[in-house]
Amino acid sequence: MSYDFLETVLFALLTIGIVGGAVGVVFLNRITGAALLMAFTFLCNAGMFVLLGAETIAAFQVLIYVGAITVLILYGVMFTPQQHRPYALFFQKQTPWAALFVAPIAIFVALFAFSFRDSAHPTPRGGDLVPLATSVFKDFAFPFEVASVLLLAAMIGAIVLVKRDEDE
Amino acid sequence: MVVGPFGLDPAIWAVLRLIIAIALAAGLVFNGALAQIYLERKIQAIIQDRVGPIHTGPWGLLQTFADAIKLLGKEDIRARLTDHWFFLAAPAIVFSPMLASYVVIPFAPGVVGADLNIGLLYLTTLGSMTVLGIVLAGWASNNKYSLIGGLRSAGQLISYEVPQILSLVTVVLLVGSLSLTKIVDGQGGWHVYGLIVPLAFVTYFIAGLAETNRVPFDLPEAESELVAGFLTEYSGMRWGLFFVAEYGEVTVVASIITTLWFGGWHGPFTDIHPLLGPALGVLWFTLKTYFFVLVFMWIRATLPRFRIDQLMSLCWKLLIPVTLLNLMVTAVLLLAFPGTHVPVAIANWLMLGGVMLLIPFLQKRRLIALRQRLETRRLALATAERPR
Repeated sequence: MSYDFLETVLFALLTIGIVGGAVGVVFLNRITGAALLMAFTFLCNAGMFVLLGAETIAAFQVLIYVGAITVLILYGVMFTPQQHRPYALFFQKQTPWAALFVAPIAIFVALFAFSFRDSAHPTPRGGDLVPLATSVFKDFAFPFEVASVLLLAAMIGAIVLVKRDEDE
Repeated sequence: MVVGPFGLDPAIWAVLRLIIAIALAAGLVFNGALAQIYLERKIQAIIQDRVGPIHTGPWGLLQTFADAIKLLGKEDIRARLTDHWFFLAAPAIVFSPMLASYVVIPFAPGVVGADLNIGLLYLTTLGSMTVLGIVLAGWASNNKYSLIGGLRSAGQLISYEVPQILSLVTVVLLVGSLSLTKIVDGQGGWHVYGLIVPLAFVTYFIAGLAETNRVPFDLPEAESELVAGFLTEYSGMRWGLFFVAEYGEVTVVASIITTLWFGGWHGPFTDIHPLLGPALGVLWFTLKTYFFVLVFMWIRATLPRFRIDQLMSLCWKLLIPVTLLNLMVTAVLLLAFPGTHVPVAIANWLMLGGVMLLIPFLQKRRLIALRQRLETRRLALATAERPR
């Protein structure tokens, strides 16, 4: 008896987690709940990476998105004054516009996703770092450097924006 | 049909293995926490010239067990305006990553839950998930002290993750692998990374203290300022879970220090017998780990707490530059002299000495600047008041 069906079951559970979490982020009224559901979606995404045999990327996903980005978002939410606003309204007003812009992109994404139906089976390698490192620092060295310059610029911009003068 | 170990079906064996692993890790964590609380009380008592727990059981050994039973029997109190689900979820979010950390720790040759290739990355990942639980606990409690505690903790943990990971990477450069077993195998006898990259050990030790919210970095739960920080609204076993998670985290940090810098299970007589050797390995590992746990307690009884701005400037102005410099120097020396660790060791000891000598100098300059600023402000005040 084989247990290959387990992978399909896990895939289904993770998909439900990702889609359900994402829908919850958009439709939930409570913004902290939305942030937590986003963390849950990121976690499910990490599980998907594990299924694909990319444990290293899964670990980075959890380290950066769950451990740092979600916390920063929660931090921002807690510091923003909330005057008991019905947050759902914010999204509902823009629903027609959002649908108009999302629909054409969604068609392309769906077409793209279904073109991968018969792809090769992934082979887990137990988190081998060498291929990842080669692709980042050799094949994609230029985009990598551009991304780091962009991040540096963003960081300096943020510092300039929030820096106060020394003696008020 | 495939037959797994003990003639069991592989599927049943997988489930059984999972249950055994969780039970072992939970047993280890809870008993470790009980032992550590006892040790903490006794050591603080000795340092403060008291006797500590003596009445329950011989030498007060049963005191922590009695406390644990009391905690379990307590009523589960929840204030009305707390955020129900987050309030319930927060202790679990803090506790479960800590429990999962024990999977990759190599206690002895062959005694390891799963020898992941990315074991070290896995550990840091789980360590970073704790923040989420603490921030949520602070938010869900609907209490200003809790919220301040949670936010402090978020800032502190995210900042100290940087020097922590940078110090770990320095050792990874020496080994060339993130697997904890390979890191232990790379050491032996006097060839331990604690003697080769002592600066990385010192920076990791400080960052690890901050990462586990221990004194002098216990600002998120500072009693004199914030009641009990994010723990204020918690009681009973939910509070107990936070505490067990803290002690478990301390053990994890101490075992990472043991594994990376002090040879893990290496020690005398580990290869005398195929069965006795690993048992001795577990013993050496436990002794080394608990030595560092005891150092943590010693520090708790000795040092006062940091202020929040001091905490941040220590991290961003001292630890991160030092760890970055250390990483760069180590990488360059390893590339320049492949196959030998001697230049790295010399450079590291020199840098450690330099940092140690630099600190009093910087401190003195800061004090002088502070005094000057105070003086100018006093003069400005005096001249402003004169016309009246």
